[in-house]
Parts: sequence; structure tokens; C-alpha cells
Amino acid sequence: MEPVIETFESRKKHMCVKGEGLSIPVCDKASLPGTVTQRTCVYGGARIVLMPITDSIHLVHGPIGCAACTWDIRGSKSSREDLYKKGCSTDLQEKDIVFGGEKKLFETVLELNELYKPGAIFVYATCVAGVIGDDIKAVCKKSEEITGCRVIPVQSEGFQDHNKTKGHWIGCDALLDYVIGTKEPETTTPYDINIVGEFNVAGDLWGIKPLIEEMGINIISTITGDSHVDEIAQSHRAKLNIVQCQKSSNYLAQKMEKKYKIPSIKVNFFGLQQTVNSLREIADFFGDEEMIERTEKIIESGLKEVEHKTDEYKERLNGKTVSLYVGGNKAWSLVRAFEEVGMDVIMSGTKNGIREDYERIKEAVRDGTVIVDDANSTELARLLKKYKPNLLISGAKEKYISLKLGIPFCDFNHDRISAFAGFKGFISFAKEVDASVSSPVFNLNYTSLKGD
Amino acid sequence: MSSINVIEKERTLIINPLKTCQPLGAMFAVMGVHHGFPLVHGSQGCSTFVRYNFARHFREPAEIAVSSLHEDAAVFGGRKNINSGIKNLALRFKPDLIGAITTCSSEIIGDDVFGFVDTTKKELKEMSQDVKGLDKIEVIPIPTPSFVGNHFTGYDIGVKALVDNLAEATEPTEKVNIIPGMVNPGDIREIKHIMSLLGIEGVMLTDTSDPFDSPLRPSVTPTKPYFPKGGTTVDEIRDSANSKGTIALCKYAGSAANSLEKKHDVPAIIESPPIGLQNTDLFLRNLKKLTDCPIPDSILDERGMLVDLIADNAARYLFDKKVAIYGDPDITTGIARFIGELGMEPTMVCTGANSKNFTPDMEKISKETGCDIDVLFEQDMWSFEVYLKENPVDLMIGPSDGRLLAQDLGIPLIRVGFPVYDRIGYHRHPIVGYNGGMRLMELITNAVLEKYYQPTHWKLQQ
Repeated sequence: MEPVIETFESRKKHMCVKGEGLSIPVCDKASLPGTVTQRTCVYGGARIVLMPITDSIHLVHGPIGCAACTWDIRGSKSSREDLYKKGCSTDLQEKDIVFGGEKKLFETVLELNELYKPGAIFVYATCVAGVIGDDIKAVCKKSEEITGCRVIPVQSEGFQDHNKTKGHWIGCDALLDYVIGTKEPETTTPYDINIVGEFNVAGDLWGIKPLIEEMGINIISTITGDSHVDEIAQSHRAKLNIVQCQKSSNYLAQKMEKKYKIPSIKVNFFGLQQTVNSLREIADFFGDEEMIERTEKIIESGLKEVEHKTDEYKERLNGKTVSLYVGGNKAWSLVRAFEEVGMDVIMSGTKNGIREDYERIKEAVRDGTVIVDDANSTELARLLKKYKPNLLISGAKEKYISLKLGIPFCDFNHDRISAFAGFKGFISFAKEVDASVSSPVFNLNYTSLKGD
Repeated sequence: MSSINVIEKERTLIINPLKTCQPLGAMFAVMGVHHGFPLVHGSQGCSTFVRYNFARHFREPAEIAVSSLHEDAAVFGGRKNINSGIKNLALRFKPDLIGAITTCSSEIIGDDVFGFVDTTKKELKEMSQDVKGLDKIEVIPIPTPSFVGNHFTGYDIGVKALVDNLAEATEPTEKVNIIPGMVNPGDIREIKHIMSLLGIEGVMLTDTSDPFDSPLRPSVTPTKPYFPKGGTTVDEIRDSANSKGTIALCKYAGSAANSLEKKHDVPAIIESPPIGLQNTDLFLRNLKKLTDCPIPDSILDERGMLVDLIADNAARYLFDKKVAIYGDPDITTGIARFIGELGMEPTMVCTGANSKNFTPDMEKISKETGCDIDVLFEQDMWSFEVYLKENPVDLMIGPSDGRLLAQDLGIPLIRVGFPVYDRIGYHRHPIVGYNGGMRLMELITNAVLEKYYQPTHWKLQQ
């Protein structure tokens, strides 16, 4: 079979076209050394899952770069504290490598507790902490005893795995082992839930939360967007987990189901129909007639609120093509939302997908869509040149690759500007997509002055 | 008698760092080589997060390859990764140069990057029988463990490694080598502009101006493979051994200059960046010293325009204002001196690096300006914040990381250095040279007018 684009032999099977033989690419393999991978490390994965816990300090145990290059780079918003935005590091030096960094870590934790009295101190292990064999768990335990503050080890040595997803799981494990179930709620209701895998990037949570509360549901915690550690501690008493980012957080929901018998349903608040479906599924789960009725009213008024508000954008976007190249979840969860504004998803890919992620993408996209795994920068550029989408959806590292080729770009990653979730979010979504696709600059671009 | 008061960090912890680790600096240096490619020997995060940081500051693609070290390498060593990494990179991109940059993990597991590179070069030579040109690729090992030094020392090691591996004495030239430091494309272009007015040809070690600020021209942008425009060619770096001299425009990156002096008798001058009047004057004097070039009227006119701008406005609007400056040790030093030239007071300076020249230089500036200076040495943004809350100033000058503090305290922030990600255009305009001085002067004065003068103030009308 003809490869999708020219690339290294071992990489060819990481790309396929749905409906043409192989519909699921080879995935979850180590990146080829010497390529410009768009992936990151396991530490990065753990950090993005836990970082939105706003009342906590996130302390990176390693050389300064691991903290310096990652502090305050996730656009997760907070309605309360901003402690989570601080960049804290043990700044390991050569002598610490020789003699071990445990003493330094211990002192650092005490200092942090003294300064901030945070909800918790999450201690992230980096590559170096792993190689020199620092016993982070022991230090955390000891300092927790002394300070009385939760000190939580996160065993996220960066090079543990090729897949950042492992980092997501490690982040979830830290919550499962040290936080969830450590506090009892004062009161419970029959309608207690957790919103899992919602990180409140650009304030997405705030588009979802009012809808759910209006249904008559009590949200014990969001894991982890705009959350406090004490709220997550009580999450084991929920009757239901709804999972938004299924890439990072299905793992947590499954573990909670096993340990606490909390069932979960997968939701998706990107796009109108998906939002409607998700609200109905939640109401159906509880099976309460009044709640179902209320939910229908919420849906009705939600849809009414956005009616005709996106017409202008849809007119311009209709028939335009879009490629998605994202961390995971958005590769399938955004497909319907794009269809609703009249756009055609011609490529979808992830950097860290595992087989079940690609099953989902395959279900979501139509025949003829290119499905891509772990495309490095050269492959991405070649794909863009070949398929010339009217828009690329990706993150900061991909942004300028796309723009340099004259292909409009929209950042749906950590640096997203507007909240897209829920009914009102859909208007912002359409608006922001339109702003990128319809920017006049891309029509001015090819004017030739040389006359050739 | 004015003096400095050095305030060192009283904690083990770092909160909101003002430095990062060595590999970033080495990557920066290699990005300035024409068709040069940094290959980081470490975890994927080591390249990815640096690419993210470059991309948000320069708003350009930052192509950095990685050997993708994983757990098996911690046990068996990373030889296979770096070896196949270099070969894959060579096959796909056929770059002119690969900088093999180590990290904390590859250093601790004891990888001999020098040995590995030698072996791989031999393999590339054999492979070149089938794929032409692979043997011509320069592969330079750059040892930058992340637990030593900071990104400034990493840059120094990077530039030195390039020069040590490539510089070759042949025929003497009239050129002058310049080590610009970790500055913006606008700064490097201004340095080139000054040299062109003086009729001096330079060798930039290295030239990140075009790679980090390139035009959007899809029809001419090479994508097979992608390389940005510009950068110093390998041949130019080779030729650096034949130059009339080397000027390092930052004190943290003089190693390559010293090495050229020692090995090839190329005189080395290591100075502060040419920020402000006196430091730019010094740069011109140094160029004259090395080349005996005349100083043309064109550059004296530029100088005169800066003096004119200062004369017109400084005493009227800026005099006596207190300024806190933070970030890069050498940019901070340069700006502190310029602030003195404007009649303002650099009451506090703060750097995260442990550059040995920082404190003595501030002592000189304190004497020169007659201003007592609190020097936060090897500190972080948290100390900076605590200090400012107790000791208010009128202006802050430094990277974007101070933006929230500036907002909290209601102090105008003039953005300079790296990273600046919340404004546009700052990488394109110089802060060095007389033109950079004018740009800085304008930014500072307009910030003062905006904050400290009512629109109705009579002073604003003349």
C-alpha cells in the first residue's frame, strides 16, 4: 500500500487512511531518536494532570530546568488561589548528585510549608531524582509528619516511558494513593458527582458547572480543574464520575470504580449535540423524573441562547477543512463540534495515543480521514503540505510550523484563549475558529511582486 | 559614598526561577549556525519544553531533535539512542552541523558523548558511500549537565565547543569575531549594523537573528527539510581562528574568545553588552582597537541622536525615578548603567545566575551613579517580589515573568530580555547600540508618562 507521506520505513505504519485497509495506525511506540518529536516526558504528563489543583504547591525535585521551563504554562484558571502557578524547584546541583538530594528536598518542603501553608505539596520526581535514587516517598512521609501538611510524592521520572500518558496515570495514582478517600464529606446527597478530567483550561469548567448544578446535582470535586485538594479528598463519596478528558483520566475513573464502586460515564461538552447528549446521559443515570424534566428545560434554553449566534461564522466556515493534531482527547471529542460549524475533519492525530484512543478516533471520523500517530515536525509539515487543510488545531510547538507554511492555526492546547465547553462555549469556539480561518492575511500572502 | 548591599538567598528552595538549565543555552548557540541542528541527548521533555519556550518568545518554529532517552538507557546506557539519533537526523535533514547536547540524565548515567560521536562519525563516513554528503556533516559534542551552572554557562559551553572543534588557522583576515550572548534578533542586527558603518566584517558566534525571526514566504521556505534562513556558516566559524580579534558582548560567554586567543593568538576582549551610551562607546573603542578603523560620522550621528533624545527628555521626565532591574546578569548590568546615564536610580538589581562579574560591575555602577544599589545575587522572582513590597520603586525592567507582580504593585514594567511572551515585537527591536538606547529610552519615558503624568499635565504639551 502507498504510504501516506514519505518518511522513515519504521514510521510509515504510524499513518493511515480510514477505510483504506489499516484504519488504526501503529501506536504507543518509542519515538525515533534524532527526530523533532512533538512529544514530551512522563514528568510533563504528571504535571499537567495535577497542576490545576489551585491551593497546592507543585515542587519539582530536580535540576532547575524542569521547573523553569514548565511553571505557569498551563492556562488552567482558578476562581480562588493562585498558589499552583508558582514555579518551585529544589535546584539540584552537582554536590546533590554525588551525595543525594533528600536532605535538600526535606529542607525545601519545610520552607514551602512555612511560607504558604498550602493545601498540599506535590513533590515531582524528575529523571535525575530517579537516577540518583532519592527516596522521595520517605522524605514526603517524614516531612508530612513534621509539618502536618499533605506532602505527596509523584513518581514521575521523565524518561520512564516514551508515552506521556504514563505520566497522566502517575498523576492519577498520586491522587488515588494519597488524597482520594482521606476526608469524609459533612453531608452527602443522592446526586453527588465528580467531574473527572476537566482541567478548566481557559475556564471550560465554568461553562459546564452551572448546567450540571442547575440539574440538581451536587459536584463534590472536579479533578483537577479549579480544585482544592480537600475537595478531591472527599471524592470517593460520589455516586457518579463523569469523565471529560478520557485520555488522561479514564484510568482514574476505572480505578475509582474498582476501589469505591463509583460508576462512570464518558461525557463531552465540546459542541452542541455532544453537550445535549452528555446532559441527558447524566440525567438518565440518576433516572429521576424531575431531574430529567429539568434537564430538558436546560437544554432547551441552552440551545435557544446560542440559536443563530453562530450563523455568521458557519457561513464562512462551511466546507472548509481542518486537521487535528493534539495530545489525545481532542482528536475525537472535537470532531462533532467542527462538523456542527460545517467543517470537514480531514486529518486527526495524537502525539501519545494508545490503541483505545485510535479506536475512538476511527469511530468519530468519516472514511478517507488521515489518522496519524506521533508525527514529528517534518512529518507534520509534509502532511500539511500534502493535504493543505484550511486550519490546523494543535499546540504552541506546532503553531509556527503551520503558519510558516501559510496554513491558518488555532491553539486548542494549554494556551487557548476562550472557553469552548457547553452551550455558550460553542459560540466562542465558532468565533475563534472563524477568526483563524478567515483572517485576511492568508489571502494577501501569495501576491507576487516579481511578476512571475 | 555610595555602595552596594549584596542580598543572598536565605532559602534552599527556588520559587519562580530567574534561570534555567545549561542545555537550553547550548541549544540557543547551535540554533545560530546555518543549517545547524541541536540534538539533545536526554528525555523528550528536555527538547520539548525548550522548544515551547523559544516558540513563545520568538514566535517562530524551533526545530530541536532529541535522542528520546528512556528507562532502558538508564540501565544499559544511551549509546544506541545518540548513535541512531545522529544518523536519523543526518539522513533526514542533511544539516551542515549537529550539536550533540548532553543533559542531566545522559551525564549521570555516564554516557561518553565524545566517544559516541567519534564512533558515529565513522559510521556516517561509511554510509556516505550510499548517501552522498553524510561524511561532511560536522557533529560537535557539547557537554552541558543540567545540574551545573545555568543557561548562560550552557551558551558559553556551546559557543566554545563550536569554536574548539571547528576553528582552523589558515590565512589571516580583517574580520572581528563577535560573541553576542543570548540576545534577540534585533540586537544582533544592530551589532551588524554598527560594524557595517565602521566597515568591519564580523563573524557572529553565533547568529540567531534570522533563524529566530524569519519571513513568512511559503514559496521560498524550504520544507524538504525545513531550515530557517540565515545563521553563521560552518566555514565562517572555521575562519574565526584567522580574525583580528574576538569581542564577547557578555561576560558570561568569554570562553570561546579565550580559547581562540590561547590557541590561535586571536586577541580576546570580554565586556558587558553595548547597552546605553558608555557601553556602546566602549564597544566602538574595542572595535577600533582591534582593527584601527576610523569612526565615521554616520555612527557619531546615531550617537548624537541618542544624546539628543536624552537631553530633550531625561531631566524633564525621568530624573530621580527609582528602577528595579532583573533577569540576565549582563543585560541587567548594561541597563543599570544606562539607567544611571538617564539620571534615574538603579536602586535594586536581581539575577538568578551566579555570574562572578555581576557584583563587582554593580559596585562600579554604584560609584559612577552615586546611587546605593541593593544587589539580589543568585536569587529568584520570589525574593524580588518580597523586596519590592518593602522597598517600592517607580519602574521595573526585565522579562515577562514579572508581569503579575507589576500588575499587583501597580509598577510599570518595561519588558526586556528572555522570555518576553506577553507582548509582541520585543525580539525584533534592539536594546543594544545607540539605536537600542533610543528604543529603551522611548519605552521607559512613555511608560513613565503613561503612569505618572495626567493627560492634562502641562508638561506633556511641550
